[in-house]
Amino acid sequence: MNCLTMARRVFVSSGRRMPLPVVMMCFCAVFFTRVVVAECAALDSQVGFESSYAEGWGIDRRNTRYQPRSTIDSGNAAGLSLKWVYGLTSRTPRSYPLVTEDTIFLGDDGRGIVALERETGCERWIYEHDGQISSSILQGWIGEQRILIFNDRNDGMFAIDAVDGEFVWHAKVEDEPAPWYSGSPLVLGDTVILPVSSKEVGYSVNPIYGCCTTSGGMAAFDINTGEKLWYIPTIEEIAKPTERHWFFVQEYGPSGAPVWAAPSYDAKRGLIFFGTGQNYSHPATDTSDSIFAVDVETGEVRWVRQFTANDAYTAACNIEALNHPNCADPTGPDVDFGAATMLVRNKSGRELVLAGQKSADVYAIDPETGDVVWTQKLGRGGIIGGVHWGMAANESLGLVYVPISDKKIVGFPSPGEPTPGLYALDIETGARRWHYSRDSRCSDLECVFGFSAAIIASNDIVVAGSMDGILEVLAAESGKRLWSHDAWRDYPSVNDVVTSGGAFDAHGAMIADDLLLVSSGYSYVGQQRGGNAFLVFQVEVKNEP
Amino acid sequence: MSRELPLAGRFRRLVATLVDAILVPSLSLVLVMITDVMEDAEDYANLDLMLLWIFLLAIAAYMILNGYTLWHQGQTLGKWLMGIAIVPASSHVQAGFVRVGNEGKSVYVPAPFWKLIFIRALFFPVLFLWVVPWLALLPVLDQALIFGKRRRCLHDLFAGTIVVRV
Repeated sequence: MNCLTMARRVFVSSGRRMPLPVVMMCFCAVFFTRVVVAECAALDSQVGFESSYAEGWGIDRRNTRYQPRSTIDSGNAAGLSLKWVYGLTSRTPRSYPLVTEDTIFLGDDGRGIVALERETGCERWIYEHDGQISSSILQGWIGEQRILIFNDRNDGMFAIDAVDGEFVWHAKVEDEPAPWYSGSPLVLGDTVILPVSSKEVGYSVNPIYGCCTTSGGMAAFDINTGEKLWYIPTIEEIAKPTERHWFFVQEYGPSGAPVWAAPSYDAKRGLIFFGTGQNYSHPATDTSDSIFAVDVETGEVRWVRQFTANDAYTAACNIEALNHPNCADPTGPDVDFGAATMLVRNKSGRELVLAGQKSADVYAIDPETGDVVWTQKLGRGGIIGGVHWGMAANESLGLVYVPISDKKIVGFPSPGEPTPGLYALDIETGARRWHYSRDSRCSDLECVFGFSAAIIASNDIVVAGSMDGILEVLAAESGKRLWSHDAWRDYPSVNDVVTSGGAFDAHGAMIADDLLLVSSGYSYVGQQRGGNAFLVFQVEVKNEP
Repeated sequence: MSRELPLAGRFRRLVATLVDAILVPSLSLVLVMITDVMEDAEDYANLDLMLLWIFLLAIAAYMILNGYTLWHQGQTLGKWLMGIAIVPASSHVQAGFVRVGNEGKSVYVPAPFWKLIFIRALFFPVLFLWVVPWLALLPVLDQALIFGKRRRCLHDLFAGTIVVRV
């Protein structure tokens, strides 16, 4: 029922004639709606790709998550306003957008990759894909052909044409029987680096499953063909039978040490750095909860530095009632390096690998040797952090920003007082510069304040979204809050989908020019509010006369 | 050949069903553990094959527990425990040796075995569909018909059987 029909019913039922202004307003509304719809329908599917605003998950290949190409700063951030909202099909959005001068590419579970016009949010084209798109979307080249690369969390890595969305290739890791493609790939010229974790962390919930035989790893593929170049498991030792439970079920070990996040790249040394998670079963290895340095050309491991030993844990450990046989004993503490590492330079020009752990520890590591330069403990940590998805750095200010979740998980012990918030540390020494925190919005679990999502920095601001659904812009030098948006609400969407916001988690926000883009509603852990909103904010930039 | 046997009570039928619903999955679980069909990551890599194996093992468990008594007496273990049996709705005669006439001669009456296995038993897994929202209506419909006059559930109607006290 349109405006005109509705107004006519109201006035006719009350025995009055419709006033002329109401008639005019309704005609305008109908006309506007039709024109907008027609404009979206007639949208040019051609994608502009003169410039893009990220080289990968970490904005640059070093994973600093610092966006140099932005006009949003502390002076204008308070003027950020909602430009448009796109309603996703997924209520656990876990894709990180790629932005060009006129298009935004975004993954939507169950639909595929959508290419949205940057100005309006109208769909240019959709690459239909019925899987869970879990990564950032990257660009690369096959000769003259520009391609987009993304992960299906269960099915591997895909390449499609960036201009028209046509399928190009599909690559999987055949070396492991249960690979999980959670971490974003990294494009380095003709090579695509792909992190690999393992689904056994979830399979082990089944008590008649004999945990566990697989490990995480890192793979390299030829961007032209999708052919595998090399693969290194994080545990080289083949899993052997260990104990039995319930008479028949054979257990195995060692296993685990998955890689959850995008690697960071060191062009000078030709290395990539990445962290690993815990072991899934005993015996524990010296490569779990570790940082790896690997030669990009050959896949040769240059050094490995372990930070927590003897940490074995699976999702079975969350099911206390069963005294689950697939929960390793001794258990946990499950303090993966879930967040991506980053390679930064301090003010004196020294390069450091920075790594944040779910234990809430941050480490600065010498990229040459793997030696620890400094450490800093910022919270109590827990199975969703501590540091969960990723940090950001502003090298010109000499600061690294560390989001701390410290969220308690029901059914799992979380000893100590939580100290969630955003911390700024001196890159050179690890000393704390400032700490931002606030109260939870209510006492329910989904209201708990804390930063699990990755954050992003630009100019003199830091942007962080919290698990209780509030997106905040902070001043990079002081931690002062400049702007916030509460996403616990319904939104009108440009694609006419019922749309609501929820928690901010996973890959976090993207910044490009005058835009701030973020998905809201990641509820994968199941203890925070779900949603399906892709939000695009814009700041009004006043041109100098 | 014989007088009409009394219909089985609803409570007895419910208890018999519960007994079967515990025994059959339990044995299936043991068979799955013994045969290692879902014990490591390789099994999950061939998910369709794994599910087929589990389905076949569940049938095997059903047959191991109930095959003999169904064949000879028209009873699952649960029904045997509760003293009830499945008989053809047309004849009302339980499987087994039945005395004929006044001379004491007995004849062997087989159970409608193929119907019990290929029609009636197919409804057994339906009981477990309560957990699937859009399929939950099927077990509701199946079981709701027990409140009819002849106490014949959907699976009884499909198989042309009735459950009686013996």
